Amino acid sequence: MTTTETIIEVRGLGKSFGSLVAVDDVSFTIRRGEILGIAGPNGAGKTTLFNLITRNPFGPDRGEVVFDGHRIDRLKPHRIMRLGLARTFQKETSFAKLTVEQNIRLGGVYGAGLRGAALQAAIEATLEMLELAPLRNELAGSLPVFQTKHLMIASAMVARPRLLLLDEPASGLNSIEQADLQRLILRLRDSGTSILLIEHILPLLFGVSERVMVMDFGKKLTEGPPSEIARDPQVIEAYLGGKAMENLHAT
Amino acid sequence: MTVFGGRIGLFLWMLAIAAAIVAPLVFTGGVSRNLAILALLFAVVASNWDLTLGYAGIFNFAHVAFFGIGGYVSAIATIHFGIPIWLDILLAVAFVAVLAAVTAALAVRLRGIYVALVTFAFVQLCVALIISQKWLTGGAVGLVGVPDLELFGFRFGSSAMSYFYLAEALLIGSTLFLRWLVRSDFGLSLVALRDNEAYAVSRGMSATRQRVLAMVASSLFTSAAGAVYAHYLIVASPDVFSFSLTTLILSMVLLGGTATIFGPIVAAIALTVVTEQLASFGVVRFMIIAVLIVLTLRFVPGGLWSLGEIFTARRGAKGEESAR
Repeated sequence: MTTTETIIEVRGLGKSFGSLVAVDDVSFTIRRGEILGIAGPNGAGKTTLFNLITRNPFGPDRGEVVFDGHRIDRLKPHRIMRLGLARTFQKETSFAKLTVEQNIRLGGVYGAGLRGAALQAAIEATLEMLELAPLRNELAGSLPVFQTKHLMIASAMVARPRLLLLDEPASGLNSIEQADLQRLILRLRDSGTSILLIEHILPLLFGVSERVMVMDFGKKLTEGPPSEIARDPQVIEAYLGGKAMENLHAT
Repeated sequence: MTVFGGRIGLFLWMLAIAAAIVAPLVFTGGVSRNLAILALLFAVVASNWDLTLGYAGIFNFAHVAFFGIGGYVSAIATIHFGIPIWLDILLAVAFVAVLAAVTAALAVRLRGIYVALVTFAFVQLCVALIISQKWLTGGAVGLVGVPDLELFGFRFGSSAMSYFYLAEALLIGSTLFLRWLVRSDFGLSLVALRDNEAYAVSRGMSATRQRVLAMVASSLFTSAAGAVYAHYLIVASPDVFSFSLTTLILSMVLLGGTATIFGPIVAAIALTVVTEQLASFGVVRFMIIAVLIVLTLRFVPGGLWSLGEIFTARRGAKGEESAR
């Protein structure tokens, strides 16, 4: 059942490539204002799950996605953004030949249909929030990794999405930048955006998520509060392999 | 980008306007005037192609056909249906815009080389239709007898310069339209979709819709130029669908510099003038031009317009240094 408390409900989502089942019968819900983390080894189907939900670049073979009361699993990907569901990509990406401000502007115009003063106000607020204001006239292609990742989040946040899908936002960042990112994710949540977060850096993932879902081989293994997940032997097995579990027991 | 902002930009605009006013006084001979009119019309076609090829990154090989069909609609409307002049030009623009939308809707869902293939097939279809439907199009000979343009009783053909001014007005209008378009949010979205489609779509841009709109926008002044061309030559000819005209205009776009609008205009005028200057070389001139194109693209891959940008960027850098 979808209630007003639920921002997204995913039911039995699946996708196969030939005989490979990339995502297999995955179901979960996210409440408004919640951060749900996704953990799992490489190839577990986490990014594919993002692709299926946003239908970018491909949608699911099976299952349903209900976002804010709308069935979105048959919509065009740009429509999904306009309904308020934004995503970032694993590899930092930008419109390299446009300026930082133009990158953000496009998100506001096409992602949320903003115009005129409302658009300008949203751009200014986003530049401020993502600490990009001094770089507004720089070409996006000239930014270092950290700022490019910020810009990718900014071009989503300018549209004030109700749900943001973050795909490994901390990869390639140093520990100071990771701490910054952790605070940023909480700020985004506090501004009214629910978050679905894929992250390999577990302290960060467990630090911000209210619940964590673990995937392996395309399937959802388990779900629970970070404190439980961190102790779940099944998770440790999937994540680190048997040997690491032995080491963990030894200590 | 910076070239046409600030004081340098204003200066260049004034220079262009001055050149436009003085040019007719220079091109007094019939041959050179004819050439100038062709250069202006080809500049319209090339710069509009830059919108789809350069900004939107669509390998649209139907563009020159929009020019040709504009001429045919104009000719058929006036000769067979007695549609009043000027109205036939509007009709040509509207007809080609719809055709561009349909072609684009079929083509832009495909990728890269397949877009080229489908749009090229579209051109072949047009040629086949025009050659075979002789009763309507005049077949391989073309449709002769397109009436002279007329304004308040003034016949354009009676004064040698009037078509020149009309072509000039068309180029100025087209350039203002294109520059406005590429700097608008719509123009930014075309660049975004060209450079990173998945990301652009994830930010709410519809790849299909924006590209279809780009094709339609690029067809407007192109078909108008085609219609004016037919009135000027008094004939709509299937020659405009030839591969050699497409190659010529494509080389204007590439030589001038893609995604600049101004580059193809400069190259259109330069190429036409150079071709004419080399007239005494006969057939050899096409080889000379081909070599010039290869050398330019090898050593100035950004096209002629990028030379100007490099120059102003250096000046800007020097200015900053001296300010310190």
